[in-house]
Amino acid sequence: MFVHAIGFGIVTAAVMALAAVGFTVQFGVTNILNLAYGDVMTASAFVAYVSHSAGLNPWWGMVLGGLFGAVFSVLLNRFLYTPFIRRGARLFTMIIVTIAVSLILQNCLQAIWGPDFVSANMSAGASVHMLGMIFTTSQLILIAIAAVALAGLHGLLRYTRLGKAMRATASDPELARNCGVPTRRVIDGAWLLSGLLCGLAGVALVTELGSFDFTTGSAFLVPVIAAAVLGGVGQPYGAMLGALVIGLATELAGTYFDPTYKDVVAFGVLIVVLLIRPQGIFAEVASQKEVAA
Amino acid sequence: MSLAWSFYISTVLVYLGVDVMACWGLNLQYGYTGILNFSFIIYQSAGAYVAAVLTLGPNTAGSFQQYIGGANLPFPLPIIAGGIAGGLLSAVAGVIALRRLRSDYQAMVFLVISLIATAVVTSDVGLFNGPAGLSLIPQPLSTALNLSLVGYRWFYVGLTAVICLIIYAFLRLITSAPLGRSLRAVRDHEQGAAALGKNVTGLRMTSFVIGGVIAGISGAVLVEFISAWSPGGWLYQETFVLFTALIVGGTANNAGAALGALLVPVAFLEGSRFLPQFGPPGLIDALQWVAVGLMALIFVWFWPRGLLPERRRIIKLPGLPQAGTGQP
Repeated sequence: MFVHAIGFGIVTAAVMALAAVGFTVQFGVTNILNLAYGDVMTASAFVAYVSHSAGLNPWWGMVLGGLFGAVFSVLLNRFLYTPFIRRGARLFTMIIVTIAVSLILQNCLQAIWGPDFVSANMSAGASVHMLGMIFTTSQLILIAIAAVALAGLHGLLRYTRLGKAMRATASDPELARNCGVPTRRVIDGAWLLSGLLCGLAGVALVTELGSFDFTTGSAFLVPVIAAAVLGGVGQPYGAMLGALVIGLATELAGTYFDPTYKDVVAFGVLIVVLLIRPQGIFAEVASQKEVAA
Repeated sequence: MSLAWSFYISTVLVYLGVDVMACWGLNLQYGYTGILNFSFIIYQSAGAYVAAVLTLGPNTAGSFQQYIGGANLPFPLPIIAGGIAGGLLSAVAGVIALRRLRSDYQAMVFLVISLIATAVVTSDVGLFNGPAGLSLIPQPLSTALNLSLVGYRWFYVGLTAVICLIIYAFLRLITSAPLGRSLRAVRDHEQGAAALGKNVTGLRMTSFVIGGVIAGISGAVLVEFISAWSPGGWLYQETFVLFTALIVGGTANNAGAALGALLVPVAFLEGSRFLPQFGPPGLIDALQWVAVGLMALIFVWFWPRGLLPERRRIIKLPGLPQAGTGQP
């Protein structure tokens, strides 16, 4: 049973890592705690669902979902969050703004697709036994997609000018701007990248769950934030580690206790981390930064 | 006035009273002290559950609902106990969350506390009957007064109004006293207040617990009237409605908070009941939430200080140039 739970934990962790890394890249660069992130995940899943209903291959759905997430996130920042920040909204007010966006988005999805669960229509494929754990083919593909996406992100942050500029903006936007980094474009890049991962994670999540409704993404958001904060905000590798810890912890809790307490474990981890080490495992200083646009 | 209208209007007035109380409680925490309490609704709910089990009587085996610690207390006691429960739960949450955290992290801790409370009460059926919730809670004094059905409802409207007045008088006392000034100082400039020797954490905690007591009382007053309470009615989104009410009405202004309670949860959400029904079930609910979200965004954009903004407090000192107490 333990080994099976580990297997589930790895799949959950792969999906969560995609979402948490996307979340942390954006949050680290802009400092906007985007509580609408989960709802963008759900919206991307619906995009994949529509493309699948139109007869496209399910893996095309994942591409389209990712693209939708990327474009939508950039537009959300450009036309909503940035104007609010220019008008003087600070950390405090931005929370209200992002919760409002989350509610609007979530309920628009409900208005369009109704309150019922829809099936993700993915065939699970043949099951594969590996080291005592059982995976379906689609689960293995999900893990592979997560690994490739995260390796790509690693290359981008590490070896390209955009990655360098992004890390510079995350650590000090003023200084980066003074050094000639076009921070506005870098921030757009961060939202684009974060949205792409967000969309991929949304489609991966519903592929894994099998069916979903308009609240699926927002219910997944708190464990994602827990993973991101556990790893240290703005630290993509920390977020991957955090996702592994939270993914395994929730699946083990679900196996040994009541499954409804799965989420409570993630919630508890988040609160404990925020109180004991709000800077996370990797970051060195707890930053008191303001929102950046 | 026909009987049906009398019935309906009395119900709406009790709702209004309860929402006004809740907005005042949240206003003390958010408007005056600057605490982004996204778990406000759970303190209201704690008050409601405690008042309910203290009215329902002992839990008998084989009853259709189960709960802990049933008792059959006479009228004002369950409401007072509800207030105490709201205060105690806030004290516990305050000890956890009111640390020196970034304000957005703090809001997130409160949000997560709200989610944990919902998950625990929903899955632990022995606590307050799980997802089905408590029902058939006897209304206070209904046998002793021996009024008609509608007569009793109007009596309850009066009772709610009296409790509102007591809370208002109390809040006025706090906010116009030196304590209110200290709270605003903590909100506007934490380091400044600390440098002047104010106990910042203690002041935040005081305001948070008083707000929690008011929340508990409002929940108790509501549950004794509607006789039922279940987790579906206190999801974290409900706190957002109260925040929207404060933003629309005006923060740090008790008249503004009351106006917000009248406009958002009562006039808007009740008023849209009279629209013709259309679309599949659930559509109107979803559109209502979209509208509440849009209302919050529009007000934050155009009127961030609300319809009735906070009074500018100007202190005149002889021999000094006049200084405002503007926002930082």
